[in-house]
Amino acid sequence: MNISLPDLKKGFTEAGYICNESTALTVFLTLELNKPLLIEGAPGVGKTEMGKVLAEIMAADLIRLQCYEGLDETKALYEWNYQRQLLRIQMNRNLEEGQVREEDLFSEQYLLERPLLKAIQAQKRPVLLIDEVDKCDPEFEAFLFEVLSDFQVSIPELGTIKARQIPVVVLTSNNERELSDGLKRRCLYLYLDFPSVEDEVRIIKAKVPEAADRLAWEVARVVARLRQEGDLRKKPSIAETLDWVRALVALNRSRLDGKLVGETLNLVLKTRADQEYFRQEIGAPEIDSVLKQSKDGGETSQCR
Amino acid sequence: MPLKEQLPDSNLKENLVTFTNLLRREGLPVSTTETMDALRALERVDLSSRADFKSALQATLVKNRRDQDYFERLFEYFFAPPEVRQRGEEKAAAYKEQAKEQMAQATRELQFKGESLQLSPAELAQYSTMTSEQRGRLQDFMQKTESGVNVEESFRPILETLVKSHLRYFRTGSSRERGAQPSGGSPEGAGSGSGQKAALSEIDIQAISASELPQAEQLLQKLSRKLAVQILRRRRSGPRSGPLDLRRSLRDNMRYGGIIFKLKHRPKRRSREQILLLCDVSASMKQYSTFVIHFMHGLREAVRDLSCFSFSDGLENMTPELKKKGNLQHLLDRVIRRSETWGGGTNLGRSLQVLLNKYPDLLNFRTTVIVVSDTKTIAIDQAAGELNKLKDRVRRIVWLNPLPPEQWSDFRSVEALGALTEMWPCSTISQLEAVLTGRLGNLPGGRNVSGGRGC
Repeated sequence: MNISLPDLKKGFTEAGYICNESTALTVFLTLELNKPLLIEGAPGVGKTEMGKVLAEIMAADLIRLQCYEGLDETKALYEWNYQRQLLRIQMNRNLEEGQVREEDLFSEQYLLERPLLKAIQAQKRPVLLIDEVDKCDPEFEAFLFEVLSDFQVSIPELGTIKARQIPVVVLTSNNERELSDGLKRRCLYLYLDFPSVEDEVRIIKAKVPEAADRLAWEVARVVARLRQEGDLRKKPSIAETLDWVRALVALNRSRLDGKLVGETLNLVLKTRADQEYFRQEIGAPEIDSVLKQSKDGGETSQCR
Repeated sequence: MPLKEQLPDSNLKENLVTFTNLLRREGLPVSTTETMDALRALERVDLSSRADFKSALQATLVKNRRDQDYFERLFEYFFAPPEVRQRGEEKAAAYKEQAKEQMAQATRELQFKGESLQLSPAELAQYSTMTSEQRGRLQDFMQKTESGVNVEESFRPILETLVKSHLRYFRTGSSRERGAQPSGGSPEGAGSGSGQKAALSEIDIQAISASELPQAEQLLQKLSRKLAVQILRRRRSGPRSGPLDLRRSLRDNMRYGGIIFKLKHRPKRRSREQILLLCDVSASMKQYSTFVIHFMHGLREAVRDLSCFSFSDGLENMTPELKKKGNLQHLLDRVIRRSETWGGGTNLGRSLQVLLNKYPDLLNFRTTVIVVSDTKTIAIDQAAGELNKLKDRVRRIVWLNPLPPEQWSDFRSVEALGALTEMWPCSTISQLEAVLTGRLGNLPGGRNVSGGRGC
């Protein structure tokens, strides 16, 4: 299914995924060039969501491979169904129907498809999401090369299986380690940064429409201020912003102030050290000043 | 002017190849496949849109967040509208002319008995970048030397050495700025210079000239990247690393008809290691410390818990600055500009006291402390006492000493502090690499390489 750039942008908007022009163009080129897309960025900026939204836009199946240390081919590609093979041997022996042939045991019937093989054998072009690829071992990363460059896999007992449809591949990485040049060379690259205040307001409005406009602006301003702090162990992600807005809506709040930020801080800063840091280094007066500046800057009036 | 007019189809491929060569020269690993991808991508975007054109090149050619700054700078330079480019070229020509004039002036000013001193162009350029006050001080020194009693022509080589030493001292602070514009020129040279880089890694870090600094920094980046990969590989646990995993053993041995043929083990629990870097940034150590910070910056991705402190007569936490995103060069400039300790005298004892009292949570059995210092400090006994306390609180202390080993016996401080730490000579990039890869072994955990030089 070919999709034009305007249709893709429209799809993102309809799915409530707010992104800039450059991001949309990179995704469009990924689809056009049939190349995997490697997305890097801080946790919670919408990397995994991109894969899900793409599947939604293209009305395709989403096949997800969650990477972790120790992930190997048997969990990512295929495994023989040993239990079934043993049962077959046993049944054959009991029924005395003659010797079972090796080819019978190593046929597709006894093959357990794991996500990569599933994506390659899919009838309709699927979206293959290889999540947190930086968590897998370098050996597995090298193994991915064959799949990502030729879209084919080799099974010694069956031979080479080529993709029926070249899947849309989205790889995500949290930058926990440097990925190899070989993997990067095979992919298009997209770095997702935290959104601007304006974009974050759009995201809040799309995901939590019941939130007051002023609240959306104020939350976005405060979150942007918190993200400026290099000393925070974990900067608030978009998901945390949305949780915070939902909580404030549940509390029937339409405005934010320093005191309220202090009271609901655990929704947005998730470690004790960060909360301590906030109290000691930033504090409610600083938040009030940020909110006052945004009000003076006319941002809150823009959205009334 | 729209790009379509700027880059007619016949020129597009040629321009793209030149551009990718420039990226390679800046150290970006752009392969032929990526160049082809870029070309295919350009066929699918609206070339009249500069933003789309740029995004297409960025997605296909730049595969690292760190490299995006270089890409941005080169793109703005290479694909600048003609009028902007012309202005830039005029500016560059004027700058060249000015530099030439400054060199001539430097040659005139740095004379001994009416004849110019034998200085390299880099040294003359360094003199030109110094403030008038600094230049005045140097001239004053030369005049006093020249007018001294019994100072004859034979004194020239001594004076030249002294002047060179002065210039080298001032170089560290002022040579941090990378050129605002790429050098341009023919792209054919891209990829060359590996021999020069190899030589660079063998010379004393302090002797690396301003013009060689960008290359040396690239070299450091590559080395740190290599080490990061090694560290991550070492993190993998071996087959017998943890306790027996019965479920996995049974499952895996189904293929052998249920006979337990191969045992499977659980991965060993890894404790997260911490690195604490203590950099001496007193006047004599500036360049060494800058290089070590450069190297460690490249390891941030592999070593999660990396803390960095600078010390001279006090201690300063540089970790927040180093963790900020952006070009390392800008980060270093910011660190140096803001730092209160950079370029001061050395009081290691006081600095360690601050570390022990103010940052106790960073010091535990998982912490490896790396000290980069020439050991030249006041109050040696106090320093040794505090170092001893630190030794009891952390896993190990590794000392990287840029002093040549043959001079170690001349300094009491080396003996006093070296006895408490694993001390290694570290005055060149290759020594730095050897120490950090070989001696330190597995930085984030595992086998401890016992013993240092044991002075």
